[in-house]
Amino acid sequence: MKKTMIVLALIAGTSLYGKTVDAYINQLAAEAKQQNSAFQGFSAQRGKDIYFSKHIGKRGKEVSCASCHTDNLRQGGENIFTGKKIKPLSPSVNPKRFTDVKKVKKWLRRNFKDVYKREGTAQEKGDVLLFMRSN
Amino acid sequence: MKTITYTLTLAAALLAGNMLYADDERYERGKPYMTETGKAATLYKTECGACHMAYQPEFLPKRSWKKMMQTLENHFKTDATLEKEEYATIQAYLLRNASDAKPVFGDIGKIGRKIPADQTPLRISETPYFKKEHREIPKRMILQKEVKSIANCAACHTKAEQGNYSEHTIFIPNYGKWDD
Repeated sequence: MKKTMIVLALIAGTSLYGKTVDAYINQLAAEAKQQNSAFQGFSAQRGKDIYFSKHIGKRGKEVSCASCHTDNLRQGGENIFTGKKIKPLSPSVNPKRFTDVKKVKKWLRRNFKDVYKREGTAQEKGDVLLFMRSN
Repeated sequence: MKTITYTLTLAAALLAGNMLYADDERYERGKPYMTETGKAATLYKTECGACHMAYQPEFLPKRSWKKMMQTLENHFKTDATLEKEEYATIQAYLLRNASDAKPVFGDIGKIGRKIPADQTPLRISETPYFKKEHREIPKRMILQKEVKSIANCAACHTKAEQGNYSEHTIFIPNYGKWDD
């Protein structure tokens, strides 16, 4: 019984560890490498392009990430459709950003669909995350 | 034992008295019947309230919330999909607090009761009583940048998040108080 508990605790421990944002980024890197053998690591410059490039989004309006999150990641933004305020993306002014992997995954999934009308690839997600975390 | 029974009876009586009083007060002041707090309510507010005001579930009937939750991939033209666990908690919360799941008093209650039985609205702003109450508001006041849309309750209803839509809490940006 005791042994089972220890094993269970260990499993829980490892899966918790696997849930950190850094671990998620490593996982994205592995996926990116698998999809493209020439992958050399994530690029903040490519991430910047992803962040600022404009697309006809899900609502039929031309938008980029910056439409709601603004050009300055250290500033708060606003959902341009609902008016709801958005806290800054930059961890330098909003330390809680990119600490909850569940949230990170959820918003990458949703916002890629809103702006690009498709899911982001592993490389795109890693690139834009690197850009947002370092600005 | 006797003392315990006595204490329990007294406690129950006090509790019942309090509840009655609270109900009366809520009804008289035209306040909505807002009961549920706790984990599910908080989850609803953080998840759905991340993009827009977390509209009180008492506004719409169960059939509307069911449809809403089935169409989150294209939620008013936005992706609002949830993880499985959150989905289940939020759906259950919405259904047990829907307009037709319990008595709902006040302005919120009126909105729910006046929805025709053969309709399944997704927008609260398209329900009959909502439209009636907002019919005199000029478009420019709604479209101005401080408000953006009729769905942005809290832009003018300063206590909307607490479920209070009474007239004296209204303050329209660049206009002021609203008197009917």
